[in-house]
Amino acid sequence: MMSKKTGRNTRSVVTARRGPSLTAIIGIVVVLLFAGVVGFGVYRTQHQSNSGAVPVNATASGVLVGQASAPASIDIYLDFQCPVCRAYEQQSGATIDGFIASGAAKVLYHPLAFLDQSSTTKYSTRASSASGCAAQSGAEVFAKYVKLLYANQPPEGGDGLPESQLISLGQQAGAGGDFAKCVTDNTFAGWTAALTDAASKAGINATPTVEVNGKQIDNTDEALRQAVQAAK
Amino acid sequence: MTAVGTALVARKPAWSWLSTLGRLVLAAVWIAAGLSKITDLDASVRAVRAYRLLPELAAQMAGAGLPVVELVLGVLLLVGAGVRACAVVSALLMVVYMAGIASAWIRGLQIDCGCFGGGGALAAGVRPTYGLELTRDAGLLVVALLLARWPVGPFSVDGMLAGRREENGR
Repeated sequence: MMSKKTGRNTRSVVTARRGPSLTAIIGIVVVLLFAGVVGFGVYRTQHQSNSGAVPVNATASGVLVGQASAPASIDIYLDFQCPVCRAYEQQSGATIDGFIASGAAKVLYHPLAFLDQSSTTKYSTRASSASGCAAQSGAEVFAKYVKLLYANQPPEGGDGLPESQLISLGQQAGAGGDFAKCVTDNTFAGWTAALTDAASKAGINATPTVEVNGKQIDNTDEALRQAVQAAK
Repeated sequence: MTAVGTALVARKPAWSWLSTLGRLVLAAVWIAAGLSKITDLDASVRAVRAYRLLPELAAQMAGAGLPVVELVLGVLLLVGAGVRACAVVSALLMVVYMAGIASAWIRGLQIDCGCFGGGGALAAGVRPTYGLELTRDAGLLVVALLLARWPVGPFSVDGMLAGRREENGR
């Protein structure tokens, strides 16, 4: 029994003692490094191909709604696929509308695409790009469109809203001109990607994130009211 | 007996199957991790940024490069090619990931590790699961180290090549 076992061991040892050759190890490392370079290359290429098209009535940092002279400046980083963003709109939408109407505050909306993986159709990007199309018809149309997109928010993990619905909701908000074509062509997908990247680089990594005069506040209606009051 | 000490194959045949099992577990984890991130490299870069550890260019390299590295590593392990080198790289990556997660925990960041897609800040009220993630990665680190020690098991390209070499050598 003992000798049999030893014999088998010796044989397998002979086979196995030749470890991987140095060339094999270098080969594996080179393959893995190459894989990393390919990923980085793809990422950089995607970013270079982002067209610089920015919607009329918008800037490279978002869409401004309200009077430019308002003392309080609210930044809202949102994603149309994000349920908490929808809840925030339901909670504080009326408050924000009041501030805009009274001239107490202006709002810079940053429609981001953090949640493209949460739908099968990159709905975050499509909806944000469509909101850029709506902004071309005016900031008020954009603001109405934001509310309509939240009211019709598709569930996470699904197919998102179809283009036909993105278009009909925009027309309901008052978007005209070549809005339908703009949505179909995903014209402002590059704008969305740039907004998203800029927010991420600025340390924003959740939606909704709300800032008043550059300072992040809690996502409560009370915190918003206090911050806008203080800015007067 | 000293020869046995340096053997790449476990002493008992049953144990060499454990090598194959460990290899497949590691392969499955890398492939799942790679696939979940490779479809949205932007999200992966954002997940790395959320750790606030790396400068911008390094975050882009890590965020966009690692998903592809993970996927290739997984496929190499699956077929059993260059297992020892792949196991060592896997172990090193696990150490790096664990350091990142531990550092996020220590600094009190409230982030998703972004290990299998996602990433970024957690929604309000959601508690981070750093302990669980560290335990999981520690387990995978052990698997990778054991695999680096005994890389040869049944059903591997390495094994087939070694067999052929031996035949040619006779």
